Amino acid sequence: MRPDSGADLINPLDPGLSDPERFEQQLHRLAQDAVAAYRKAKSRASELEVALATLETAFLETVRSLAFVVEAKDAYTGQHLERCRVYGVAVMKELGIHDDYPDAQYGFLLHDAGKVGVPERILGKPGPLTAAEWRVMRTHPLIGYQIVAGIPFLKNAAEIVRSHHEMFDGSGYPAGLRRDEIPVPARVFSVVDAFDAMTTDRPYRAALSLDHALGELQRMAGTQFDPDVVKAFLPLAESIAPAGLPEPIPR
Amino acid sequence: MSDSKGRVVLVVDDDDMIRRLVRTVLEADEFEVTEATDGESALALASTTEPAVVVLDIMMPGLDGVEVCRRLDHDRVKVIVLTARDDPDLENDCREAGANAFVTKPFSSIELLDLVAELIAT
Repeated sequence: MRPDSGADLINPLDPGLSDPERFEQQLHRLAQDAVAAYRKAKSRASELEVALATLETAFLETVRSLAFVVEAKDAYTGQHLERCRVYGVAVMKELGIHDDYPDAQYGFLLHDAGKVGVPERILGKPGPLTAAEWRVMRTHPLIGYQIVAGIPFLKNAAEIVRSHHEMFDGSGYPAGLRRDEIPVPARVFSVVDAFDAMTTDRPYRAALSLDHALGELQRMAGTQFDPDVVKAFLPLAESIAPAGLPEPIPR
Repeated sequence: MSDSKGRVVLVVDDDDMIRRLVRTVLEADEFEVTEATDGESALALASTTEPAVVVLDIMMPGLDGVEVCRRLDHDRVKVIVLTARDDPDLENDCREAGANAFVTKPFSSIELLDLVAELIAT
């Protein structure tokens, strides 16, 4: 004799989940499953976060090395790149656009990477360059762009490399871009690069004072520099320049 | 006929709540589920729906689970025994009847899903 569907009858040999104690045990087991899965997911998520942070640090260090390869001969330059990076990121944050260009800091570091393509006799020439030598010198933004553009995460960085000698009024190179044709991070770079050059000792002149340097930035706002970038930089300069991370090198 | 290409699981248990629970767990991992409440209909469904895996209770009225296990075509279907009886002799009988796995109730949903995935992959 066979019961018809078993759904309404309780099998005396195996009461199944209709038995309260068995029901409770099964519920308990499912709760344990859920907690175990949750814990595993949480721990995996934090492992991934750590791995990602490690990877990002490694990437930054690699890009720094790449930038320094180009300019390793000059201790000044190494510190200059790092200061440009720090100042540049500070201005990007002040303008509220840092998150829109996450790889901008790599562009600041690599801006002169293209100089590997410029002959040493031109790079190191003590006197003024001839017209022909200038033409060669002015290829370095595009050479740099070709180097960096091939790297997947460095799209914005490549734009900075290409446009770091453009000027707000269109008189720069290589493309003579004007105003917002110039990518914003490149406009930021121009200001911090000039500022750092002015406020550090160079072989041919001592560092300008902070006020003098800021005065120059304001004087050239609208021609060489984007006035909004200069405006954003002025309050920052007071706080970061004296501390200057790392310190400007006196000579 | 199912078009899930090997992701059909047949759940056999006379306990309505167990079947519902196992169905919920399997469907959450995107398996297609068919059900039987006793051994005879299990064998009939196994040949018509061609499941990849059968989750099989042992203590059912009528044809018992070990016999059902024996009669299934093990070249076409894998068997997970799911029973309240935590008994090594029973486990032995089941394995000799061709069962691929032996799980006791209360069961872990994660362990069941891992087993089903593993058996389908082999």
